[in-house]
Amino acid sequence: MAGPKSSSKPSTASSETYVAVSTLWKSYLDQTPDRLKFIDAFLAFTVLSGVLQFVYCVLVTNFPFNAFLAGFASSVGQFVLTASLRAQVNPENRSEFKEVSPERAFADFALGSIVLHFFVFNFLG
Amino acid sequence: MRLLSSALVTLLTLTTFSFASSSSVLVVLDPSLDRENYSIFFGGLEKRGYNLTFRAPKDTSPAITDYGVSNYDHVILFAPDTKSYAKDITPQSLVGLLSENTNLLIALSPKQTPLTSLAAEFSLILPPPETPLISHHPARSEPQTTIPVTVSSSSPILTPGIPPVWFTGAPHALGSTPMLVPILRAPAESFAADSTSDDDSDALVTASEKGGEGLWAGSQMGLVTGFQTNVNSRVVFAGGVKMFSDEYATKELPSGGPPGNALFATDVAAWVFQEKLKLRIDAVDHRRVGESEVPKMYTTNDEIVYTAHISAYDSETSTWKPYSGIDDLQLEFTMLDPHIRTSLPPVPGSPGAYQVQFRAPDRHGVFKFVLNWKRKGYSYLESSTTVPVVPPRHDQYPRFLSAAWPYYAGAISTSAGFFLFAALWLAGDVKGERKKGSKVE
Repeated sequence: MAGPKSSSKPSTASSETYVAVSTLWKSYLDQTPDRLKFIDAFLAFTVLSGVLQFVYCVLVTNFPFNAFLAGFASSVGQFVLTASLRAQVNPENRSEFKEVSPERAFADFALGSIVLHFFVFNFLG
Repeated sequence: MRLLSSALVTLLTLTTFSFASSSSVLVVLDPSLDRENYSIFFGGLEKRGYNLTFRAPKDTSPAITDYGVSNYDHVILFAPDTKSYAKDITPQSLVGLLSENTNLLIALSPKQTPLTSLAAEFSLILPPPETPLISHHPARSEPQTTIPVTVSSSSPILTPGIPPVWFTGAPHALGSTPMLVPILRAPAESFAADSTSDDDSDALVTASEKGGEGLWAGSQMGLVTGFQTNVNSRVVFAGGVKMFSDEYATKELPSGGPPGNALFATDVAAWVFQEKLKLRIDAVDHRRVGESEVPKMYTTNDEIVYTAHISAYDSETSTWKPYSGIDDLQLEFTMLDPHIRTSLPPVPGSPGAYQVQFRAPDRHGVFKFVLNWKRKGYSYLESSTTVPVVPPRHDQYPRFLSAAWPYYAGAISTSAGFFLFAALWLAGDVKGERKKGSKVE
């Protein structure tokens, strides 16, 4: 990885940020378990979906408002549930979630998601 | 009572008064007028199929009405100088005849008679008594009160190309009611004065200096004017009776050639007695586009097609024939105010049918299809059909809104993503267990 360590660039602020971000990204890719990366991918997809709906609502139209609320709430709710699944399943957090096994966490996540989707599709209209 | 009945008749859309092919006419002829002197006019009427009954103004029989019902289809009143009539002829009874769909042809004169007050009922303003129409042009051997009047070709009542007509009598000024139909106007160089000699020309000068109603002159005055009532009965006021006489019909014009009196009298009689320009609405029809039944109610934003069938009376065959000659018919879709006002053009290839298609407005309520066509000389066409327009039912709205597709896509993709994630997570769990199990071994 030929980094910007070659000192041809005189400005340091942007290159420092770039160095920090790329180091963060590299360490994330190296040190995160595969299952957590899988959860993170799903989280990113949910965030993208929510952001797109919000941008459409603000820029184009918020009609029908109930559909916007349902779609946005679907994204946000799914993000929250998946984030809590990631927190409970992360091996580094085992000390905090001693009485919650990963299987129990996934079952909670699945049940919560199904209830969320039921409400979303009813409110979508 | 008469007002109520005439108001009720006004609300009818079709005139149910049908012609027998021979109509009965009562001619109230003043005894001082020689019946033989009007043989061309009366003979022409009889030849066209009218049954004429003659009577003097002071005779009590035959009566025009019996217990409020008219005995005759039409009445000709050639009694311009009569000051007192029999009991059954009063201005009120003559107006009542019009409510009964009886048409009148009335000749006035410079004298003050009950007919003067009758003419005032029809917004005709008569000059002071004993002021006949006078014109010094064109130069002629007849006295100045006998005037050849050019006939304008603009009225739909008269056939074009009628030569000038001889006229003796009083002019009148037209009021502002739109129901008046001017037929013959006074020549521009004529005036009304109370003397036939030129000695009193200074009276004219002082009158013109006074201005206003003091000056009766010019073509603003009418000589023969028609009036069509709300029930489509017609009355014509002619300023003098001599213009219908044989003497005037045969008198040569100063410019040479025969006058147009006979033709003019025929045309005027044809209009008054409802032979010409008589229209009616046969039927109106409204429905949704593409359907074959009249719906009980419409929904907002429906496409509606409206059809009107209009006929004109053909006097030669005494039948109603479909008429497609109206090019400015309008339809209004009204709820307190017209929400839609559109033209109703004739349908090419379908005689008598006029059709238009429009979208019902986005308001619900009780609307009316209003057809209201009033033109000078033609029968009035009026029709009003009331119809409810309701808002859409709960299941008539679109099921999925196209503006909401991003939200539908977001919710569906989140659900699909969740299911995919759960499936892959559990598959990974199984694989991990198998791996762990093998590792433990």
